[in-house]
Amino acid sequence: MKRKYTLIFLLLQVIVSAFIAIEKPSFYIPQNWPKPVYNFKRNPINTDVVTLGRVLFYDPLLSKDNSISCASCHSNYNAFTHVDHKLSHGIGDSIGTRNSPALMNLAWSSTFMWDGAINHLDMQALAPITHPGEMGESFTNVAEKLKKSKLYPTLFKTAFQDSIISGERTLKALSQFMLTLISANSKYDSVMNKQALFTEQENNGYRLFKKSCASCHQEPLFTSYAFKNNGLSVDPDLNDYGRMRITKLSKDSLKFKVPTLRNLTYSFPYMHDGRFKKLSEVMNHYVSGVQKSKTLSSELAEPIHLNDNEKVDIIAFLLTLSDKQFVFNPQFAFPKEILLKAAND
Amino acid sequence: MKKCLAGLILIFSFVTNIRGQNSNICLLKVTPVFGSTNLTLGKQYFFHNQKDSVAFEMVKYYISGIQLLLNSEIVWKDTSGFYLLDAENEKSYSIPLKIPENLIFNEINFLSGIDSTTNVSGAFGGDLDPTNGMYWTWQNGYINGKFEGKSNLCKSMDSSFELHLGGYQFPYNALQSVQLKLTSKKIIEVHLELEHFINNIDIAEKHHIMSPSNEAVLMSKAFSNSFKIAQ
Repeated sequence: MKRKYTLIFLLLQVIVSAFIAIEKPSFYIPQNWPKPVYNFKRNPINTDVVTLGRVLFYDPLLSKDNSISCASCHSNYNAFTHVDHKLSHGIGDSIGTRNSPALMNLAWSSTFMWDGAINHLDMQALAPITHPGEMGESFTNVAEKLKKSKLYPTLFKTAFQDSIISGERTLKALSQFMLTLISANSKYDSVMNKQALFTEQENNGYRLFKKSCASCHQEPLFTSYAFKNNGLSVDPDLNDYGRMRITKLSKDSLKFKVPTLRNLTYSFPYMHDGRFKKLSEVMNHYVSGVQKSKTLSSELAEPIHLNDNEKVDIIAFLLTLSDKQFVFNPQFAFPKEILLKAAND
Repeated sequence: MKKCLAGLILIFSFVTNIRGQNSNICLLKVTPVFGSTNLTLGKQYFFHNQKDSVAFEMVKYYISGIQLLLNSEIVWKDTSGFYLLDAENEKSYSIPLKIPENLIFNEINFLSGIDSTTNVSGAFGGDLDPTNGMYWTWQNGYINGKFEGKSNLCKSMDSSFELHLGGYQFPYNALQSVQLKLTSKKIIEVHLELEHFINNIDIAEKHHIMSPSNEAVLMSKAFSNSFKIAQ
């Protein structure tokens, strides 16, 4: 009898362990998606490194006054952006010059930031950490603070088999967490995988989208990752000329990276400076607000003709790109079991 | 008996290893100098017949891709990679090169900075770790060399200069190659002649360089031309 209970207990343990293993975040390539561009050979995914990256992502220790974390401007509930804020915020209530981008499907992107200033995901976090208007901390000091903390030597040891804390490891851990932020469970994805159907309105919106928008917002990632001038006027206060700041080439004037359209429901306001609060404003811009200039995207050279019903249908389709599972995934949320416990110790 | 044998093998391989390493080390020593003296950070150096002066507060730069050549043919390449030389740490001036015994060479080549492939390949550790403060954060790329200090020549508000030289993309690729003919082969002693560097840049007008640019490329050429075999 005792043996029987032991067997049942062991069986249950195996099932629970398997369930936990499945639940752990990890990287995967969704069905029919292209090959990622991130080089995993230099940073192979390991769940303990992902956990370390997740804790770092949510820890305000990375900022100068320990007040702001990566998640402050990239909240999981908002598809990892700062909802309802036109421009990014920083320490001491400082305001940045661009809308914080939503973070998802980053393994498929070869450049980062609206102007492509960052050439590799591993190096991305350095920019906000050291920017005086964002987290304002020196990266050398971040490493020192991590070394002095009670929490991190253990987490680094679990992740890397020794407790050496280096800049390289810190950045690679942050990358690993961000690489796991895959959004591929929207209604659109279910329809593509033949597990759901669009409504008539969504279907019409999809048809119009493919005709008018998909050359830049290419499926399944809904971006081409190209830099385009989409005809926005220059904000006289921000004077932001986009990619030209990086390349110093006039042909790149007013060009910004084409953003993904996934999870638009959660990630307003829109555009590099967050000037549009609603998707209807975005639609109106493309139909009647495009400003002509030398570098205007060739896709917008001819006006896009859409009547009011068609605009609404496209928006109905765009809303099918919302991925609740992604936004409310507890594996991506604040790691209270680690950070709160550390704060209370 | 087995334990004894294993111990003997271990000792033998250790001794062989030590001997092997000693016999195959060629020391490359790169020292920053001003005039005829080794650089001391913060010290004021006079030049131009004592009319002008300069004091360096930071001299920090990378060299990489070290090669030894015989009559212009490459006979050895360094596989260890990248070295950060910092005037705050004299130990960083010496780079041991593990070369084959009896290697004959009469020239050394190296790069004064970091190549473009490394610049786009993500995070690295050691001398390339971003915590060393040699990585641009607002736009990516390694800073090949940092030169900071004060000179009466600078038309800046406090006579300061901050030259952060880097850039890996066309048209502002600042990486330069250094070729030096050698006389001694046991120790390769190179000087980074900072007086030569200062005399070959427009420090009066271009006293703050913080991003890839044409000026950064021109200064990087002057920087790489300032490496000389110690006389």
